[in-house]
Amino acid sequence: MLYLNLFLQGLAQGSIYALIAVGLTLVYGLLRILHVAHAGLFALGAYISVTVTNATGSFPLAVLAAVAITGLAGMAIYRLLYEPILDRPPFVALIASIGLFIAMEEAFRLAFGPYGLSYAVPPNMETITFGGLFLSRAQILLMVVAALLLGGLGLLTERTRTGVAWRATVTDPPMAQSFGIDIVRVRYLSFFIGSALAAVAGVMISLINNLVEPTMGSVPSYKALAIIVLGGLGSVKGTLVAALALGVIEAFGTIYLGNLLDRDAIAFAFLILVLMLRPHGLFGAR
Amino acid sequence: MLRLENLTCGYGQMRAVHGLDLEVPAGGVTALVGANGAGKTSTIMAVAGHVAIRSGRVLVDGQDLTRRPATARVGAGVAIVPEGRRLFPDLTVEENLIVGGYALPAARTPPNRERAFALFPRLAERRRQRAGSLSGGEQQMLAIGRALMTEPRFLMIDELSLGLMPKMVDLCYEALASLKTTGLTVLLVEQNTARVLAVADRICVLESGRAVWRGTAAEARADPRLIESYLGEREAPALP
Repeated sequence: MLYLNLFLQGLAQGSIYALIAVGLTLVYGLLRILHVAHAGLFALGAYISVTVTNATGSFPLAVLAAVAITGLAGMAIYRLLYEPILDRPPFVALIASIGLFIAMEEAFRLAFGPYGLSYAVPPNMETITFGGLFLSRAQILLMVVAALLLGGLGLLTERTRTGVAWRATVTDPPMAQSFGIDIVRVRYLSFFIGSALAAVAGVMISLINNLVEPTMGSVPSYKALAIIVLGGLGSVKGTLVAALALGVIEAFGTIYLGNLLDRDAIAFAFLILVLMLRPHGLFGAR
Repeated sequence: MLRLENLTCGYGQMRAVHGLDLEVPAGGVTALVGANGAGKTSTIMAVAGHVAIRSGRVLVDGQDLTRRPATARVGAGVAIVPEGRRLFPDLTVEENLIVGGYALPAARTPPNRERAFALFPRLAERRRQRAGSLSGGEQQMLAIGRALMTEPRFLMIDELSLGLMPKMVDLCYEALASLKTTGLTVLLVEQNTARVLAVADRICVLESGRAVWRGTAAEARADPRLIESYLGEREAPALP
């Protein structure tokens, strides 16, 4: 039963990673940019959720606002930050992205203070016990929401014309244009979807911890980068598998290797191990 | 159908085509021939909107496409089968065809797909297979099928026979002959002179980015000096 509990805890954590990292991999697939500022959008979603809930008393409204505003913020980042420097070497966009991420952290500190925010009336997060399994309501909600959203994204990319066009654009943008696909629109759509998913992850973390703080994006920023490398850069399927695997490995690792390595060190030890065996990641093309 | 007026285009600082004038009348096959580096592919890619045009104009059915993006050219009836096919290798045969028909309403995809399958029955057998795992000949069929999904009036094909087994070359040229009977206008770039002389109605020879000879295929066949100097009796090398 302990193993099953750890496995479910790991899946919950992996679902958070997956929601964050998918946006990162969408952007990398399209533009070959490591979008570090994506973790700032994760924090933005969490802040919007807490402030709107506290101001209006409506959590659903807060979720809607978080998803819409963060999605639009992602599109604005593409338009204002990345688009003007697309013809520059990739490290220019990476530096710009890191700069924006730091600026966003400082903006949260200035706007909301350095100590973080909590829900005035915390949503119901009690732990549910079922046949020896322990999961909080927030964790169950997280796994259901992540499964629905990521499953929906999977269906969108695999079963719809828009999804097929998106995958074609990732492979060969100029050729996709020859068949009438507006690659700029595809980019905006990817930034919106990726950023909205990061916002959902932020909302879920704010529920689980009942705390949002300016630096809450720091760990997800580098862990999401590790996940997309682990999954094979640009592979959505690889990212999902890597995110869930990392969540589960961290859950088991903190119990069995906790004396030797902390949670983040376990994640990176796993990354190094996988890259030694599969240098292109789990699903990366050679 | 297609008129190029004093077209100059290239990549970065390099100019691949210099002041090219070319008229491709509606219907039939016009072939662009010449040695490597003559500017054939650059011309086609400029018409498709993928190579920067420095000066001159590209007109299709009188419509000026010179400054229009590649996305808009498919709406003017222009389709391309590029050199090296440039399929979407991770997409299945059917998905590549869906991308081909993306600019048209979704309802037009199924009948157009069936027409592509009728032209190349082998694609129907491989419909769920990844494009990247097809043989070279099958990939060329798919590239043609994908272009036909746009319901083109003007089709550009770059190196139809390059790297294909003779049997596959035969199949591709049979398909081209069949398309010709439908009234489709084709601009063909081809190194295989025997095939060009057999299928083309008109020929334009390029050298160093300039047109050095224009005429009908019959005139080309009757000019041994032209064949020796510019066309030669080359057959495209076939891969095993």
